[in-house]
Amino acid sequence: MTRIILWMKLRGVSLRLAPPVRLVVFILSGVFAAGAHAAGVLRVLAWPGYADAEVVRSFEQKSGARVELTVIDTDESLWQKVSANGGRDFDVMAVNTAELQRYIAADLVQPVDPARIAGTRRQLPRFRKLADIPGLVHVRQGRAEAYAIPYTYSTMGLIYDRRQFAEAPVSISALWEPRNKGKVLAYSGGAHSFSLAAQALGFPSPFRLQGAEWARAVDKLIELRRNVLGFYNRPEESVQLFLRHRVALMFANYGLQQLHMLRAAGADVGYVIPREGALAWLDCWAVTRGARDVDLVHAWIDHLLGDTASGLLARRQGLANTLVESDAGTSSDRIVWLAAVEDAPRREALWARIHSGDRATRVLAP
Amino acid sequence: MKVGIAVRLGLALALVGVLAAGLTGYYGYAESRAMLVAAAEERLLTSTRVLVRQLTVGLENTARDVCLIAEHPQAARLLRRADPAMQVSSERNVALLFQRMLETHPEYFQMRLIDAADHGLERIRVDRDVSGVVRIEGDELQEKGHYPYVFETVKLPAGAVYVSRAEINHEVGAHAGQGKPSLQVAAPIRDRADGPVLGLVVINVDLNGLFAQLAADLPPGLQLYLSNGRGDFLVHPDPGQAFAFDRGQRASVQEQFPATEALLTGRTGQAGQLVTTSRPAGREAVVAAFVRQHFTSLHSEDDFILGLSQPLAVVVEQSARLGGATLRIVVGFSALAVLLAFLLARALTRPLHQIVLAVRGYAPGLPSGRLPSARQDEIGVLARSIEDMQQQIRAQFDSLEEKQRALDRLASHDSLTGLPNRRLFLDRLDQALAHARRNDGHLALLFIDLDNFKTINDSLGHAAGDAVLCAAAVRLQQLVRASDTVARLGGDEFIMLLDGADDPEAIAHLAEKALRALAQPVMHKGQALQSGGSIGVSRYPHDATGATELIAMADKAMYRAKSGGRQRACFAEAS
Repeated sequence: MTRIILWMKLRGVSLRLAPPVRLVVFILSGVFAAGAHAAGVLRVLAWPGYADAEVVRSFEQKSGARVELTVIDTDESLWQKVSANGGRDFDVMAVNTAELQRYIAADLVQPVDPARIAGTRRQLPRFRKLADIPGLVHVRQGRAEAYAIPYTYSTMGLIYDRRQFAEAPVSISALWEPRNKGKVLAYSGGAHSFSLAAQALGFPSPFRLQGAEWARAVDKLIELRRNVLGFYNRPEESVQLFLRHRVALMFANYGLQQLHMLRAAGADVGYVIPREGALAWLDCWAVTRGARDVDLVHAWIDHLLGDTASGLLARRQGLANTLVESDAGTSSDRIVWLAAVEDAPRREALWARIHSGDRATRVLAP
Repeated sequence: MKVGIAVRLGLALALVGVLAAGLTGYYGYAESRAMLVAAAEERLLTSTRVLVRQLTVGLENTARDVCLIAEHPQAARLLRRADPAMQVSSERNVALLFQRMLETHPEYFQMRLIDAADHGLERIRVDRDVSGVVRIEGDELQEKGHYPYVFETVKLPAGAVYVSRAEINHEVGAHAGQGKPSLQVAAPIRDRADGPVLGLVVINVDLNGLFAQLAADLPPGLQLYLSNGRGDFLVHPDPGQAFAFDRGQRASVQEQFPATEALLTGRTGQAGQLVTTSRPAGREAVVAAFVRQHFTSLHSEDDFILGLSQPLAVVVEQSARLGGATLRIVVGFSALAVLLAFLLARALTRPLHQIVLAVRGYAPGLPSGRLPSARQDEIGVLARSIEDMQQQIRAQFDSLEEKQRALDRLASHDSLTGLPNRRLFLDRLDQALAHARRNDGHLALLFIDLDNFKTINDSLGHAAGDAVLCAAAVRLQQLVRASDTVARLGGDEFIMLLDGADDPEAIAHLAEKALRALAQPVMHKGQALQSGGSIGVSRYPHDATGATELIAMADKAMYRAKSGGRQRACFAEAS
């Protein structure tokens, strides 16, 4: 009843105020309109924590456009949303460099022009050299074009218990060391696990297994299985197991986020990039093929490279931004950016058998 | 519009009646509805608790099965690898046991005996398959050391039982259980109570099967929910919502039933229960009871939250019926109240109306309207009071009329003789003249003056004079017709108006009779008083036409008679 009355009151007020409000909005939109975005709507697809409410609000004030934010939490849901209508339902999205490749292949994204984004000039040099980051620049009709602007990243290094290691482990082979048996945690995912095994075996490319490398990688992963306490899926699961079973070493699939969580839980943990290099994901902003207002998209990306958005990313999510060097020892020469793997379904199928406890002969059986 | 007291009274009484009926009905309904809903909620909660109890009993039975095998000497003997021949027979026996148990427990997917050595290699494994229960052997046995049900169980003390989280079983080669919601119940195998753990026994429980059994006993219309300690649905009426976390989505009990947040936050290992009503947009509202259960006797990785829901419509169905009955009663009583109010108002206002009519129609002298004075109540008192008042008014009016008549008489008659006085005579003369003028009529005036009156008055006193005057008045009165007037003008002067008299002889004759009458002696206190009279006659229209002139003419004629010797009558003469 009260609600109905309130609603009627509000309705009454809004009815009475409607013409003045419209006038004020009209004047304000004139005042704040930057360029031609006055009445525009920007449809953003982002991951949790990438565009907090205050970031969206300040962009709306600055540009005069309205932001429709859709938060996704898996690569698969991102793909479904963007590919559903040929990329016409959204203007801009956050996607990692490896995933980006299938969007380029399906022509769901369009090139982005870094020159139109002032914020890129404040990025760290290694994030400005887009051509050096695999998968960002593609040559189309004789022209090299960038398809995304880096935003945040994390390495997948090793987290170790400082009380159990006198010295920080230097190599991913520590995951296989018998002295750590039963005190290792690894991630249960096919693509990354094979890349990890390939790194441990010193293969030329962790993403391009070929020939006999497959069998050796399988053996290596079975070895890993026999040395670990267990495999985790979710970051909170890893933190729980780490603390409960006094784990010494963990392959941090979620990277700095897990470090952040463990430290918040009071663990005395360190983070290292192994000498083989750490696999790393780099999430970038990409413009969909169906973007309505490309200028507005560029303004959005520029806004997120500003101090507010990129600062919150570091403070709240424990994630690195592309403006300042992260303190987690992520020197550039030992980062191995994720790239599309040679045969994702095969990796997943083999991994399912390995994880289920099959021995090598059965894993490799057809 | 003028609203009468009857209407107002009737309305007020009807309003009070309707209000009383309505409020009584409403509060009665609200109270009963609350009680009905509370009772329904209590039933729902009880059903949920019973279900939790069944789940607990079911899990405890499985735990007993696991312990039974883990503590069986055959199991430890098998893992000790002492005698190869004995081992083969032990394996066969345990496998047979597993097969029997799987056959008798349809809710078991798989039973295994796992070696703590060899990276948790399965030593005996019996799976349920489409074709029945099969023993898995050789190459197909897998290493499970990295699964929580192994690395958690081998750390448990003797006699303890591990219960895993409820998850979708993604282990490749798990036959019927693969890709199905499962729960692992495991117990460590030891040689002796304080010895090292040699291995473990694991039973994979078919979660859906288990709950299908539980739900089979539920009355129709109830829906079953099960969530883990984080609120993720494991069993849901909509299968798409169960195990959403396994597909990277989230479907949680606290989203659909926000009140369950209280069961979830910071309460690991604590029991709790609640009843909530959820009104999801676009779907019918449901009442749901939730119980959080922690299996204290088991080493459970997670708690369960079990819930039962029922459409709110079903819960309040009884109260809706009650509402209908209440409404009918309220309407009935309201109608009765209105009718009673109308009758009461009429009963009260009708006598009032009667009194009003009686008072309004009251006039002195007329019979008053009928008053309800026979009543024994206040209205009767009022009516009797009004009657008394009417009688008083009537009495006062009568006496007032009497006095008025007396006053009138005094004003127009001579108090001594009772004859019309000068004023009344002049009135009558005017009327008679007016009549005569209209009809060419005639009239005559006889002006009479008593003789010797002054002498009698002076010598014998006023009483004697008065007696003479009165006798003269009576005698003169007797001479004339009723239409004629005899008046006393004052002193000893009388006058007679003879209407229609014209004939001088007849007039003279009457004057003679008058003179004779006046000449008769008057007896006063034994004395004969001798008087007499002189009479002057004037006629209309013969002598004059105006009243004053006629009187003056008669007066003059009377003086001539007096001066002519008294005891005679003279006709007026033209001067």
